[in-house]
Amino acid sequence: MTDTIDEARFRGIFSHLGEVTAYAARRGSRDPDGVAAEVMTIAWRRLAVVPADDPRPWLYGTARNVVYAEARSRRRTTPADVATAPAPEVQSLDPELDAALRNLRSSDREALLLVAWEDLTPTDAAAALGITATAFRVRLFRARRRLQAALATTQPAPLTTLDVEGT
Amino acid sequence: MKNDTTLMRLRAANPVAEAPTIDNDALFDRIVAVPAETARPRRRAPRRMLVLVAVTFVATVAASTAYALTHWVFGDVEHAPASHAEYLRAQTILTFPPGYTWPNIHFRADTVMNRGGGGSFAVSIDQDAWECYWVGAIKRGDSAAAARAHQELDDLMANRISIAPAGASENYAPTGVTFPHLLFADDGGYQHKRQMYADAAAGKPAQLEQSCRANGP
Repeated sequence: MTDTIDEARFRGIFSHLGEVTAYAARRGSRDPDGVAAEVMTIAWRRLAVVPADDPRPWLYGTARNVVYAEARSRRRTTPADVATAPAPEVQSLDPELDAALRNLRSSDREALLLVAWEDLTPTDAAAALGITATAFRVRLFRARRRLQAALATTQPAPLTTLDVEGT
Repeated sequence: MKNDTTLMRLRAANPVAEAPTIDNDALFDRIVAVPAETARPRRRAPRRMLVLVAVTFVATVAASTAYALTHWVFGDVEHAPASHAEYLRAQTILTFPPGYTWPNIHFRADTVMNRGGGGSFAVSIDQDAWECYWVGAIKRGDSAAAARAHQELDDLMANRISIAPAGASENYAPTGVTFPHLLFADDGGYQHKRQMYADAAAGKPAQLEQSCRANGP
């Protein structure tokens, strides 16, 4: 089957499917594959607005909205599960860092993670958040300071507490 | 920033360190089976153009509002300088009784009158002055002066004073009248003056004397 021009272009966007899946997993999605598929469907439907040079900021920005929508839907449909359902937050391999990240505002946390985990440049991360590069740099600087402060005050949780939280 | 220990620690804590390579042809085919939006994004109007349109709109509204206020609402309104100028101009047109001088009227800066109000003021003062002149003539027994006063007042009533239509607003401005002109309300005052002059001419000047005391210079 011969790709149309749009399909050929979308194939380049679709090549980031794995990165979008990883993004969703890092943000605590229960269905990273489903989120990525949803993002790609949106990208195809709105192909005209997806940047041709580097679609990742657009894809991450869209994925973020889908992950949050997923979390909201989960809260609405399974109220009994509210206490245990994780918010669309990060789940790192470092419990102390987890706690510090959760204490940050979501906008600060997303700024840090777009750079640290998604490996975006500040300019691309700014595009993903829909703000200017300058505004993003300021936000990143403040987020880093707040994370440092949070880590300085976060005591390693006792093992028993970790066990309770993990259930 | 790359050397920042916080960011380094954050990078190390990445729960999905490597993005998986996914080759999902089935998903791709399923997605592209649905027609993509062919419509290109609407070209956004340049911000400068939007600002220009907004400024033009605001300016148009402001200008039309100002025009409305000055022409449609306050079209027959004038301020102190214009009223004073009318008052002075009316003095050159009206005849004042011998021996009387026009009072120097100070129009306060915040005075607002109907257009022609300064002239109306002059007609009123002229009328009062002639009434007093007539009273004086009667007291002196100067029948010629009394007759002249009567004639001048009749002329004023006939040519410089009229009655507003019944129910007319306070802003009513008569058309087709000669400057200066005084408008009486339709409350019988005009007829009262006419009767007063007729009585005075008939030898009963009591009302005229009272009017002079009340309104005269």
